[in-house]
Amino acid sequence: MSSREEVGGSMEPSRDLIGLSSEPLSIERVYSSAVSPSCGAVALFIGTTREHFEGRRVIRLEYEAYEPMVKSELSAVCRDIRSRWPMVKHICIQHRLGLVPVAEASVAIAISSPHRCEAQEAVGYCINALKASAPIWKKVIKSVCVWCVWCGVVCGVWRHSRIAFE
Amino acid sequence: INTYYLVTVLYFAKSAELTGHRSEVVPLPAATSSCQLWALLLELHPSLAALQDQVVLAVRQQYVALGDQALLLADGDEVAVVPPLSGG
Repeated sequence: MSSREEVGGSMEPSRDLIGLSSEPLSIERVYSSAVSPSCGAVALFIGTTREHFEGRRVIRLEYEAYEPMVKSELSAVCRDIRSRWPMVKHICIQHRLGLVPVAEASVAIAISSPHRCEAQEAVGYCINALKASAPIWKKVIKSVCVWCVWCGVVCGVWRHSRIAFE
Repeated sequence: INTYYLVTVLYFAKSAELTGHRSEVVPLPAATSSCQLWALLLELHPSLAALQDQVVLAVRQQYVALGDQALLLADGDEVAVVPPLSGG
């Protein structure tokens, strides 16, 4: 019985799933697109929006992307992951675009592998590589004066990543 | 004589705010370098100077750091102004 499952699992082709969406991310869907009968582990990373930035309260974040290039850069990240961790089965990377309220997920990554080590290492590598190479930008909308209608415009700043280009 | 081609220039994040454009079609020289390209974009939009030293370009969806290496553009190519990334 278990050998049939193993065979069935290894027959299943590996998947790289990359998506950008202005809808809230479904963690359940990210997880279920990575889970595999041949794997004993799915490692998950979820990036969420923080309520403080440079000492000010954040109202929301706004993301924009160079969408076709995000897909080509993240496909290259998937290829890197597969050459570094050949046992990795499925990779699912979903990033949200547009307005993202505080405490909601802006990015979700799920990676499966037969044993947990590869999946965990690959997920850590994947989020670092995404931050370094995916052309995505977040604008932080901070609260400065709650009475000012224009603050959302005036106080928005483009966050600069501390990770430099390669 | 350098040939000029019509190239689509895309502006993202702060560069879109500085120029007031998300994209525009610009005649650019076929044989150039990323440094010269940036200088031409600065001529078009002097406000982009605020991004000097932090910007890279993407030519046909490949990152190109500002430098002197030769760059060949073709008709209909896409060049993007890429301020520091902040995804995740």
